Amino acid sequence: MSPDRTELIQRQSPLLAGGGALVVYAMFIASSYDQRLLTISGIYVIMVLGYQFIFGHAGALSLAQGAFFGVGAYVTGILGSQLGAGFLATFPASIAIAAGLALIVGIPVLRLASHYFALATLALSQLLLLLAINWEPVTGGANGLPGVPPIQIGDLRIDRGVPQLAFVWGLAGVAILIASRQLRPIRVAMFTVMRESPLAVPAFGIDAGLLRLRAFLLSAAFGGAAGALFVHTNRVVSPETLGFGTMVTCLTMTVVGGRFRISGAIIGALLLTHLPEWFRGFDEYYLVMVGVLLLAMVIFVPDGLASFLKDSSWAGQIRTRARPAEPTDVLDAAKPTLNITNVSKRYGGIQALDRVGMSIETGEIVGLIGPNGAGKTTLANIITGIDRADSGSSKSAHIDLAAATPTAIARNGIARTFQTPQLPNELTVRTAIEVAAANNGGHCLTDTVITSCQLINILDAPCGTLPHGVRRRVEIARALAGQPHLLILDEPAAGLAPDEQTVVAEILRAHAAKGLAILVIDHNIDFLQPLATRLACLDSGRLIADGSVADVLADDAVLTAYFGILRQ
Amino acid sequence: MLVAQLALNAVALGAAYALVAIGFVLVLNATTAVNFAHGESVVAGGFIAVALTGVASGIWPSSLPGIIFLPGVLLLTALLGLAIASLAYLPIRNKPPVSVFVTTIAFGIIVTNGLNAGFGAAPRTVPALLGSGTVEIFGITASRQSLAIIATATLLIGMLAILLQRTQLGRKFRASAQDPEMARALGIRLTRITLLGFALGTAFAGAAGLLLAHQFFITPFDGVGLILKAYVAVVIGGWGSLRGATLGAMLIATFEVAVASVSSQSLAEGLLYIAVLLVLLIRPEGIFGETQRLRA
Repeated sequence: MSPDRTELIQRQSPLLAGGGALVVYAMFIASSYDQRLLTISGIYVIMVLGYQFIFGHAGALSLAQGAFFGVGAYVTGILGSQLGAGFLATFPASIAIAAGLALIVGIPVLRLASHYFALATLALSQLLLLLAINWEPVTGGANGLPGVPPIQIGDLRIDRGVPQLAFVWGLAGVAILIASRQLRPIRVAMFTVMRESPLAVPAFGIDAGLLRLRAFLLSAAFGGAAGALFVHTNRVVSPETLGFGTMVTCLTMTVVGGRFRISGAIIGALLLTHLPEWFRGFDEYYLVMVGVLLLAMVIFVPDGLASFLKDSSWAGQIRTRARPAEPTDVLDAAKPTLNITNVSKRYGGIQALDRVGMSIETGEIVGLIGPNGAGKTTLANIITGIDRADSGSSKSAHIDLAAATPTAIARNGIARTFQTPQLPNELTVRTAIEVAAANNGGHCLTDTVITSCQLINILDAPCGTLPHGVRRRVEIARALAGQPHLLILDEPAAGLAPDEQTVVAEILRAHAAKGLAILVIDHNIDFLQPLATRLACLDSGRLIADGSVADVLADDAVLTAYFGILRQ
Repeated sequence: MLVAQLALNAVALGAAYALVAIGFVLVLNATTAVNFAHGESVVAGGFIAVALTGVASGIWPSSLPGIIFLPGVLLLTALLGLAIASLAYLPIRNKPPVSVFVTTIAFGIIVTNGLNAGFGAAPRTVPALLGSGTVEIFGITASRQSLAIIATATLLIGMLAILLQRTQLGRKFRASAQDPEMARALGIRLTRITLLGFALGTAFAGAAGLLLAHQFFITPFDGVGLILKAYVAVVIGGWGSLRGATLGAMLIATFEVAVASVSSQSLAEGLLYIAVLLVLLIRPEGIFGETQRLRA
């Protein structure tokens, strides 16, 4: 046995021991009622595993997980009791229809901000509940449909008790495998970036929409599977399975167990299924207690009970996606790497940019100065696709920037940093850089970038613990990790001590020497003057100067607009 | 004739919904937090009125008009609002907004199931505000309850407008809503503003509970439907706008009354949920535009 595996087993030993004890209990000690509870727990494990994708990893409060569970239940219930279809037909149908529904509503709804998404999914659930109650010929109305057959595969009938228990937990095991395959270290890190640094998501080369859609589809598929199994054990499908109660159960299990870890799904499902039995004395007040528990968990144990287990998470290495080698010397030195012509942008009554034209060639370091509100950041936002120009064109060597998404632009070699560094607090420096490298196609570059940005000593520190000056270097490393041909920096010297500024300038110079084109927005002339090979000045949206550093700094218009000096 | 009566019903329903929606926006303005317990606050207001009616009937032999209970409902739901703020919002105000969604959902679960355990699941009603029956105005037979709902809601909204526009406290509240950082820098205590927002907002929801419970009855599980309606009103009216929320509530009520008059209440509700999804799909910033930048 490899040392890795031994270590893994050691780390997981409490879980394995607990699992073993449960198996013994289920087989030899549990009454048939207890076995039923364990079966239901296994079903909820599947539902919660699915919910963790969207609520935990994607960080979006979906209130439709109960609805997907109910859809799975109704599909199996209707096909099974009315048409007599077998498990091999109904189970995939339940999954497919739940996921299909998620696809239909997910595409428009997933781009919504947090509460819009929560309420849209709640509206969907209420709609399905109304449908289940009122579409009587098909759904059986408020009473539901009785006579759902047990699970039958060919001649094999899975009866209640141990067979059903084993079958459900077998499928829960499959669900765990699928979930752990989906949650590769790189993907977990991408989800973390999405939750913690929403502004920088495109800069990391992450397609947030696709990632969220994947999470939503998985949650729906798992929910549908769980609902299908639930009606097989219950033999009746009723509107209750679709109701807000199921959603509350799922949410509570996820919050109590933990919203990120697979062990959390198991703990939450087992605990919340058995809790009503242990607190029978509370009667109707039991559900009040569930509310109190949910509230208390969010406040006091936000990461759930699984956070008390030893951390077995994501020790794996992130493998970067290898892009066909495209060494920097391929970039033609004479070819402009960025070409903007006649770009204009208006915000309400303010002309932020007025027919700006500029081009940047490989190896150049262009400093962009101008008073506050001159349009510098707007220009950076238009180049990186975060804002759209009203008119004009912006092109790079590889891509028409005016038509591409911010993520596509980042993946095509245009990197940027932000005025305030946008880094995910929880990720380590190494992981943050690796995520950017993997998504933006920088291959095997991480080590070089880490060395050149002098981060070797803090690689394993979470980004949230770093002081401002270091965060800036990490962000520059994140930008360089994708092997860009153009790097745009928004006030890289702001808030840095003079020696830190020197380090940043050295990093930039070294990469420019290898052919990287750099656009530096800054106010700090002392920083720019020795660094830039060219200087441009914006004033009230117009480019009033563009030329050698000495010429621009001596220009009358620049002196008036930027330095407030009036020459006679 | 019938149209005029339906219009009056719609305005009355809209006035009650407007209180719910305004309450939602008050919390939103004070905190940028979405309060998922808001629907349950309406339900709580209704059941507080049920309880007060029960208590009053033990003291006073003849039945009292519902309006008598308004001050009691306002006070007790304001206290409920303070409880929501201090248990479900203040402890986690620096965490991601999703945490607040979950804690307020938890609070809603507590309220719903507490009421269910205490009162049972059967629909309950409260006395009409100023007597039942109809009056003739301009040749229209108008229900007294509808007129009383419109009058009560107008009074409450008017008082809120005076509080927000004419008093120092109201100015502080609006300043904090527009720019909390600057408000804090000017010495405004944001925690107090938060508490005020929750107290006022929940009291408005509670008042709506009293207004709605006579005609429509109330069960402990009505909260989910009510928050969706408040939410749609706020989205239609522009996130964070009090005036927009009122207008949105009127639109929803008109839609509901119109559809229900030719078909069923279920269809009206179903179409409303479809409308939510469509509005979110086409114009998530609201039909009348967004009045404040999203901070949530």
